Amino acid sequence: MRKRASARPRRRWRRRLVAGLLIALCFVVAGAGGTLAYFFPAIVTAFQVTGHTIDRSKESAAPSESAHAAASVAPAPSPTSAAPGQPFTVLLLGSDNDEKFAPGQVLTQSMILCRINPATKQVVMLSLSRDMYVPLSTGGTDKIDKAYLYGGASAAVTTVENDFDVHVDHYAWIGLLGLVNLIDKVGGIDVVATNPVLDDFYPADISGTNPYDYERVAVLPGPQHMNGIQALEYVRSRHGDLRSDYGRSQRQQEVLLALRAKAKLLGLSDLPDIANAMANDFNTDMSISQVASLLPLASNITLGNVQQIILLPPYTEAAQVGSQDVLIANWNLILPLVHQYFPAQ
Amino acid sequence: MRRFVTVLVLLALMGAFAFGVNRFLASRRTVISATVQAPTKSKPKFALPGVMIVAQDGQLYRLQDGEFTSLDLPTDGQWMQPAAVPGQHAVVAVERFAAYSEVFLVSDSGTLLGQLSHNKTGSSTIQYNHWMFWPRVAQDGHTVLVSYDAPKSIDSYEIDFAIWKGDLSSSLVQEQLSDPNGYTGGDTQAQPLPDGSFIYAKYTINNEALLSQIALQKGAHDDPALLTSTDDDCGQPALSPDGTQLAMICIGGTSGQSSRLEVASFNGTALGTPRVLVQDCLCSSPAWAPDGSGLVYYNTADATGHFELWWLAGAATAAPKPTKLVTTSDDFDATSAPAWTAS
Repeated sequence: MRKRASARPRRRWRRRLVAGLLIALCFVVAGAGGTLAYFFPAIVTAFQVTGHTIDRSKESAAPSESAHAAASVAPAPSPTSAAPGQPFTVLLLGSDNDEKFAPGQVLTQSMILCRINPATKQVVMLSLSRDMYVPLSTGGTDKIDKAYLYGGASAAVTTVENDFDVHVDHYAWIGLLGLVNLIDKVGGIDVVATNPVLDDFYPADISGTNPYDYERVAVLPGPQHMNGIQALEYVRSRHGDLRSDYGRSQRQQEVLLALRAKAKLLGLSDLPDIANAMANDFNTDMSISQVASLLPLASNITLGNVQQIILLPPYTEAAQVGSQDVLIANWNLILPLVHQYFPAQ
Repeated sequence: MRRFVTVLVLLALMGAFAFGVNRFLASRRTVISATVQAPTKSKPKFALPGVMIVAQDGQLYRLQDGEFTSLDLPTDGQWMQPAAVPGQHAVVAVERFAAYSEVFLVSDSGTLLGQLSHNKTGSSTIQYNHWMFWPRVAQDGHTVLVSYDAPKSIDSYEIDFAIWKGDLSSSLVQEQLSDPNGYTGGDTQAQPLPDGSFIYAKYTINNEALLSQIALQKGAHDDPALLTSTDDDCGQPALSPDGTQLAMICIGGTSGQSSRLEVASFNGTALGTPRVLVQDCLCSSPAWAPDGSGLVYYNTADATGHFELWWLAGAATAAPKPTKLVTTSDDFDATSAPAWTAS
């Protein structure tokens, strides 16, 4: 009888403990639900835009012999991806993707090959001019910006790999509106505009109703704050610059570095906004975890550790092929440069 | 029944907690909004002497006795680049539209006194429009220098600023003074000197890089004397009131993502050795105090990138004072130097 009396409070205590644990669990689940609801749009977008695969099957079919005929080249690097923590190469692609173009059928106005060394926090940015006349992995020879048009990211990557004798670990593609939205979402960027950028024939494909119209652009020189549209005008205009695509390549690198500075301010809570901004205008073959690991890396890289390279003359020379103004690559100079800054692993 | 109510209360609390977590995460988003408050919503940290007209978010503001007042100009365009008119309580200022810009005479209390340019075309061919920026009025109170995107052809991609001379009482583009280097952006930010010569920033291409040099030119179409090297890549010249010191913004030797504020002595024909007053900054648009005791300029105050007003006392001396932040939350137009007068 006494035994039963002492067991009752113990059972009650146990019941209260279980109830308390259950209530705590309920709140953990509720908190997780609230967190999931917050990040759900970002998670969905992340799954949509990351993890695209590159088809390298055309790599061997590329007409690389003509590109490298004059240059003595090292054996093609192994197509294995870099191990975590090891230097890796990303091909950044930027396209006009307004309504002038069918979805996915776009040129890449911007092609920047980046080598990122996570250990030393050093970055090399090599701008590949859109007008470079090179063998394409899809067959034939044409401007390098058409590789993406003919075969998407796979063709762009394999063309760069074949012609520049470099292994590309990953690619990331962004469209016009994606860049504009991204810059606006981070509150604009601070850029030191190197010169007045004047263009009376700038495509009015974002602001106007007719994508074939023109608008006038005037970006004033000096340090200034730019919103997404202003930054796009700065990186996209090329008519008023004697250096044409060289100047544009330089400005594209400036804006990328300015974006990096703003990335330092972002945190995990900003991901849904960023994902929403870029949802339809960004894709990459990197996994979500790889993209996530890049964010802190970007904020730790100092400007002094960024090497910017543009293939000016004598690396390239202006020429005319048919009715096209193109740049002819001097592979004897380019390949040693690429091997120096993008060594095989 | 009691259990049912308990479960209901628990569910409600769980829902509230989930909502709270969700909103807490949302509140942790980085506040780096592009829009900032008007300068009239805050006060400078200390008062500067005289009257200063500054541009922010397309509107002009007067800073006097430590208070900002909006000039409340019509908001059909973006107001920028005010410049003092000697002998008048007025400024010339640019109103920028999508395809052209106009220069107006505006009283320092915000009355529009007149439109000085007519750069808008009536044609549907947008290339007939013109840009006009950086108006500066000479000490005589009526001669005006501007950067104007002419001559140009609508059949050519070439479009560059040239320095033009005009008059407040008639046309601003009476005579083309400078001959810009083609496809560089041209000649900008002219400063008239008392003897009729002028200092400006001239863009040039050197080794495939577009760089700026401070140029001094005597008369129309004369060859300019280049006062700085392309390596220094200097622009935005601002001459002190006594004409003996030149402040400028240089980006040569930086990563291209920063600038430095330099001051050099000026004897009318050449610059002395420049002194770097602020480096590794986003310094822009220096303007001297009316008594030459120092200068103001724009620079970011923190990583969010808003351009604030900074004061540097003794900028003309060998031992300038430390820089002082004047405003903290205003985000001024960094391409528009303040117009600063004694009264």
